[in-house]
Amino acid sequence: MRAPKLLFIVLFWVGFVAYGQNKQILYDFVEIPQSAMVNPGVDTDFQWYAGVPLLSGLSLQAGLSGVSVNDIFANDGLNINDKIRERAIYGMNPRDELSGTFQIELLSLGFRGKNPDNFYTAGMYIEGDAIGYWFQDYAILAFEGNADKLNQAFDLGQLKTRGELMNVFHLGLNKKVDNDLTIGVRGKLYSSIFDFNSTKNKGTFVTKEGVNNIYSSTVEADMQLRTSGLNGLKDAVDEGTVGSTVAKRALLGGNLGVGLDFGFTYHLNDQTVITASLLDFGLVYHSKDIKNYTLNGKATIEGIGIILPDAAADPNSDFWQDLVDDVEDFVPFEDNEDAYIAFRPTKLYGSLRYNFGERVDNRADCACGVNASSNRARAKYANSVGGQLYIINRPRGPQMALTGFYQRRFGNFMALKTTYTIDKFSYSNIGLGLSVQAGPVNIYAMADNLLSYGNLANSHYASFQLGLNIISWGKK
Amino acid sequence: MRQLRPVFGIAMIKFIKNILLCTFSCLTLLSCVEDQDFNQYDEIGVTPNLEASILYVEAPESLVNETNGANIFSRNFNFDAFSSDVFAKRVLDGTITYIVENTTSKELQVTIELLDADDNVLDTEIIPVDPTPYSLQRDVAYGSSGRSIDIIKNTSSIRVTANNLGDTSSTSNEPEPKIILKSSGQFRVEIK
Repeated sequence: MRAPKLLFIVLFWVGFVAYGQNKQILYDFVEIPQSAMVNPGVDTDFQWYAGVPLLSGLSLQAGLSGVSVNDIFANDGLNINDKIRERAIYGMNPRDELSGTFQIELLSLGFRGKNPDNFYTAGMYIEGDAIGYWFQDYAILAFEGNADKLNQAFDLGQLKTRGELMNVFHLGLNKKVDNDLTIGVRGKLYSSIFDFNSTKNKGTFVTKEGVNNIYSSTVEADMQLRTSGLNGLKDAVDEGTVGSTVAKRALLGGNLGVGLDFGFTYHLNDQTVITASLLDFGLVYHSKDIKNYTLNGKATIEGIGIILPDAAADPNSDFWQDLVDDVEDFVPFEDNEDAYIAFRPTKLYGSLRYNFGERVDNRADCACGVNASSNRARAKYANSVGGQLYIINRPRGPQMALTGFYQRRFGNFMALKTTYTIDKFSYSNIGLGLSVQAGPVNIYAMADNLLSYGNLANSHYASFQLGLNIISWGKK
Repeated sequence: MRQLRPVFGIAMIKFIKNILLCTFSCLTLLSCVEDQDFNQYDEIGVTPNLEASILYVEAPESLVNETNGANIFSRNFNFDAFSSDVFAKRVLDGTITYIVENTTSKELQVTIELLDADDNVLDTEIIPVDPTPYSLQRDVAYGSSGRSIDIIKNTSSIRVTANNLGDTSSTSNEPEPKIILKSSGQFRVEIK
């Protein structure tokens, strides 16, 4: 019992970096500096902040739609092959996915400029992101084969996957335009460590009644896998230079890209706020250490075909080799080193928040607060309730999540935010975030899908975020 | 003041460690995992049943009539699919299906021999063929319920021999009379 539990702890909190990038608890959680990373236009009141290196922002998210570990490995006395067949192979569909992301902030800081309306942010973080959709037809072929499946076309286009590991340098400006509007923009420089993607595949494999022989097998493929950085990493593993190779690529020595984040916060009135942000609107140009693989063409075979007397004309002919050569000619598997552009998975957030209850004094160094005539740095309310929208661009099209939230502030010492989120992974995702301000030290922790903690193995989604910052509001 | 700095640094590190420890401990202690049996992984069987055509041979009746002697045709066809490592190391059992269609006026005999790399005969299937119109299907099982699967694993070529047991002058009234051998294989292979 202890070993499996330990395994799950490891899988969920350390290594199993899967699923989603939605940071719905962090979004618009203005007490936390890292909320600027999901909305550059967040309404911030800090004079400056500095994240503790490696600890200012750590997030891991894991999930799996369609099936859970418990569905397959529960000690329920059922045959595991039957469970795989019923719950995975035929229970999932090609829109189900295994995906994930992690971010570790290496450096993070922000400071207010000479013009107090301008707040600058900068930093560097490592990000890994991967997604793989359920390739149902491949699974059917692997587990059951093509026998007795005459005329059933297996969709080769179901292979859709992408992943990347990169270091991101960023520099942002958050500007309070007036009492109601704050806007923000952040420029990003992506330094890719490795990348792979195979997302625009098409093709089928089908077995039919043959024209001459008993069966004909037809494969029609237009498939491509693009990679950058993987071969170099493989060599580095062999040479024992992984650390230096990764470090070099992370520090602008690899493939580079650029991107932008945008965001705003707008007070419709004293208590109602709308926000939105667009993140990672960018691309990476991959031109170094490229290895791409293609499978393109169409071939139909009915085994070795001998039609006499013509076929007997050459007694030395090797019909088997001719058949193999024909297939390779018609559906060549080739590789190349062509440069390519990979677009980042762009994210869109939006929220509508209603504040109510007691007012909480603002910490900013300004003539503001409960009785201030100007609301240049507004007093906060003890309670907030609202809804959020999240959309991410994925290989099979946009994915959406809807969140309802309630936030409670306990003076300037502590803030809690609880969320209820529905998305493709779960209709019962309840999350909780906590931010504690102990003097200048800010600590925050967030966990998602709390109901699944009753049986982690049955969870389709789990995420966790943690951070530690030093904050100043500039008050004497 | 300078002496205080390392002390402060050590205290900070301890503080951070404690926070991390408390957080992960809380999450771990508060979470539950129902009884899972990961040993079931060893019981997963990935054994697809694969099916494809093998060999098609067609000879017109004119060829039969032009051939002196009984032997119309005999030839080894290289067929490395069975003995290739990717297949031979994984195949569990299966069936080869032969279909012979005869629209000639002749009584014939078709012999299929599976040969290893040294041309040693591993298996022989003799199919007597009645005169037109005639069609016969024969399924030959290999593996648990049939002949040894090692025959398939070691097959490197297929020899097909057709003998004429009739005359060399008559002609069938069927359109385009010919003798045809079709064949396919259906094999279960163990991927895991």
